[in-house]
Amino acid sequence: MEQHIHPEPKAFIWKYVFSIDHKVIAKQFLWTGLMFLALGGTLAMMIRWQWAYPKTAVPVVGALFLSHTGGAITPPTYTSIFTMHGLIMIFWAITPILIGAFGNFCIPLMIGARDMAFPKLNMYSYWMFFASSVLVILSFTSQLGAASAGWTTYPPLSTNVGAPGWGQTYMALAIFATGVSTIMGGINYIVTVIRYRAPGMTWFRLPLTIWGMWLTAILNVLFVPVLGSAALLLSLDRLAGTHFFVAGAAVGIQGGDPMLFQHLFWIFGHPEVYILILPVWGIVGDILSFFSRKPAFWYKGSVFAMIAVTVLSAVVYGHHMYQTGMAPLLGLGFEMLTLAISVPAVVLFVNWLNTIWKGSLRLEVPMLFALGMVFVFGAGGLTGLLLGTISTDIYLHDTMYVVGHFHLTMAAASFLGSFSALYFWFPKMYGKQMDQNLGKVHFWGSVVFITLVFGGQLVAGYSGQHRRLFEPYQYTYIRHLAPLNRWTSFAAFALGATQLIFVVNFIKSILMGKKAEQNPWHVSTLEWTHCASPPIYHNFDIVPTVVRGAHEYADPAVKKKFGRDYLDQVEPGLSAVDEDSSAGMPEPEAIGAE
Amino acid sequence: MTARRLLRAVTGLAMGAGALLTAPFAFAAAPQPGSGYGLPVDVSAEGHRIDWLIGVTNVLTGILFVLMLGWILYAAIGHNEKRHVAAHDHGDSRKSIFLVLGIAGSIFFVVDGNLFFNSTTDLEEVFHNFDKVEKDPATIRVEINAHQWAWDTRSAGPDGKFNTKDDIVSLNDIKIPVDTPVIFEVASTDVLHAFNLPNFRAKVDAVPGQINRFWTQGKTVGEYEIGCAQHCGTNHYKMKGVITVLSKEDYARWAKEASENSARLFDENDKDAHWGWDWKGN
Repeated sequence: MEQHIHPEPKAFIWKYVFSIDHKVIAKQFLWTGLMFLALGGTLAMMIRWQWAYPKTAVPVVGALFLSHTGGAITPPTYTSIFTMHGLIMIFWAITPILIGAFGNFCIPLMIGARDMAFPKLNMYSYWMFFASSVLVILSFTSQLGAASAGWTTYPPLSTNVGAPGWGQTYMALAIFATGVSTIMGGINYIVTVIRYRAPGMTWFRLPLTIWGMWLTAILNVLFVPVLGSAALLLSLDRLAGTHFFVAGAAVGIQGGDPMLFQHLFWIFGHPEVYILILPVWGIVGDILSFFSRKPAFWYKGSVFAMIAVTVLSAVVYGHHMYQTGMAPLLGLGFEMLTLAISVPAVVLFVNWLNTIWKGSLRLEVPMLFALGMVFVFGAGGLTGLLLGTISTDIYLHDTMYVVGHFHLTMAAASFLGSFSALYFWFPKMYGKQMDQNLGKVHFWGSVVFITLVFGGQLVAGYSGQHRRLFEPYQYTYIRHLAPLNRWTSFAAFALGATQLIFVVNFIKSILMGKKAEQNPWHVSTLEWTHCASPPIYHNFDIVPTVVRGAHEYADPAVKKKFGRDYLDQVEPGLSAVDEDSSAGMPEPEAIGAE
Repeated sequence: MTARRLLRAVTGLAMGAGALLTAPFAFAAAPQPGSGYGLPVDVSAEGHRIDWLIGVTNVLTGILFVLMLGWILYAAIGHNEKRHVAAHDHGDSRKSIFLVLGIAGSIFFVVDGNLFFNSTTDLEEVFHNFDKVEKDPATIRVEINAHQWAWDTRSAGPDGKFNTKDDIVSLNDIKIPVDTPVIFEVASTDVLHAFNLPNFRAKVDAVPGQINRFWTQGKTVGEYEIGCAQHCGTNHYKMKGVITVLSKEDYARWAKEASENSARLFDENDKDAHWGWDWKGN
């Protein structure tokens, strides 16, 4: 369906602040997300410092924020640090960067739409997210400390029984608020993809990126409300004296049930890990094909695999709760469904490996990050098997092994996937090229240190170290893991330092990067072939008519006719050219260029 | 079962690497520091089932990991644009689809299938088989009440009933006889905790308003650590205890004495101290 063209706003406030342009909103999400990524990363460094040098003053950050203890981390501060690290990274860093920024930026451009279906709702989504961000910052200023009940926010610890003060309350409200933002965004993504695909852009011609974003949006709209309800009930327990989640001695009379929260939380929480990885799967599926100069291997198989994972993700949440006293038969059902996910996951994975096999790989920065994502996701996926199985999970549950596993899958994989996307679409977003050499250093540092950090966590957990321990060496049987933890911390500090290279590159490229061509990567999707860098306000003067899928590469006949190795999604192609005497068309560089 | 034994024998070799990493546990009174990177020493009668399944899965996933890494590196170098012209292949031929589904199916049946089959058998025959243990007259029963930040423990005295004058009560200290099944029933008064016996490959959440249970059996005399595996607040990291596996004779002697001590110190009016519950059982 063709959207009409809105007049472009001129005033600063409508153009850059309360903008309804999906491209501006994408940048707003990107910047906010990157800020929180830095904050969440700093908190991670503090955790690692505590494990490397327990109870000693943290450099720089300690002097700034922990002066009352001489810069050292205390046990209550430590619980706040890991809680806020987890929540910030998931809801305020990965979600806005991956879904908020790239979902917003890519969906209209890649499907040939002039904007989202509901541009104003899109703006509200960002500003709701902004309000939730303010609540996060407020949580840090609370007198009794920021939220401290773990990112999972399990009651009764997260009620006034275990975490009095405003810190935890602000976070419960912040989770609710960011949930509202996510739902608004999700509805927008779903409707836009259904209603505003360009003529000829059939479902099976969509780039994989769009499939990933669309399925993620569906999961968000279905399951974030469940989290919202849990956050709301928790807020009532904290503020209104209700007892939804409090039981035991803390309530004199008949109490509620703390397990209710866990069910609500994981009904959302397991889809959430796929919410954070589906867009990456899509992006990486496209980028591997683009930079291998080869069609995406069994595109439909990848699409069906992603759909299968989306469906299964809704019915496996119980594997987070094997040790809660779950009925054995129920546990068995969850185990069976959980293991079943490995079928579509392997299909997807083997499709990636087959896409790069016999390709003509251009190891440019987005491709390097995509390959890195495949590697860490593979490692993370393989270590997940032992956690999805009940008997082996008895030993590994709540150890650092779990921490290593989920960081590899949903943190490292979405981190590398996000950066793959960022380096790939940066020229389109800002009209500038990023420095490729700095990008390569950033990649190698990131992938090597990520492997060391989360590999170190896997080994520590395998050897018996629990997660969330202020000082693990209180336990005699894991005291010998102190050097391992220290080395893992060194790798983490190096990982943190590596990100400074990105910061320099990002700022430098925006301010004085080389001007980007319209299609610097020579790829086939609409945003590169039919939009300027950066695109005009309404993206497309004339909405193009699509004739093929997004991965038409390496056809020798095309090479012979056109002198290049790909066909974009719009141009007539071989048969039409045969009739057309103007064969040997140049690259469609000039269309819509500034 | 024979096929399973055979598989175990074959993978025993591969397990050697893991065994080398696991330190031999010298007999000593206090919990001993571990060494090396690997599973902590297993002192339970049935923990080897979990260790075997972890070991064999590590071998299989290790192979897949190496294949994956090799594949990526080979493609990145060997099929680089400098050396290789891309093949025009959409991967949707019947042959390609069979290849992908074949790999996915094989991994599912071998790796996941092995996990599912063995895990389910182990749970049914051993870890969840409370019937057998409850019927065993030698079985020891222990109630654990977790609270911030300690473990209250209680076993029935000679009268065999819980919450009576002769209960053996203690804090952060559990003693059990060797080669004897022990059932733990675990609850919490305040927030969630998780009662963890890493050396026994046993763990269960302590939930307020709910009684969870597991059973285990010590095979090596000595002292081992109890940990809290679930974040339970500021001092979570210090919520430790010690579980001591005694010889049967030592245990009988100790239990008699402990019960007499508890009876002597019993205070009818100290309601908080009578937190025990009637054994839940099956």
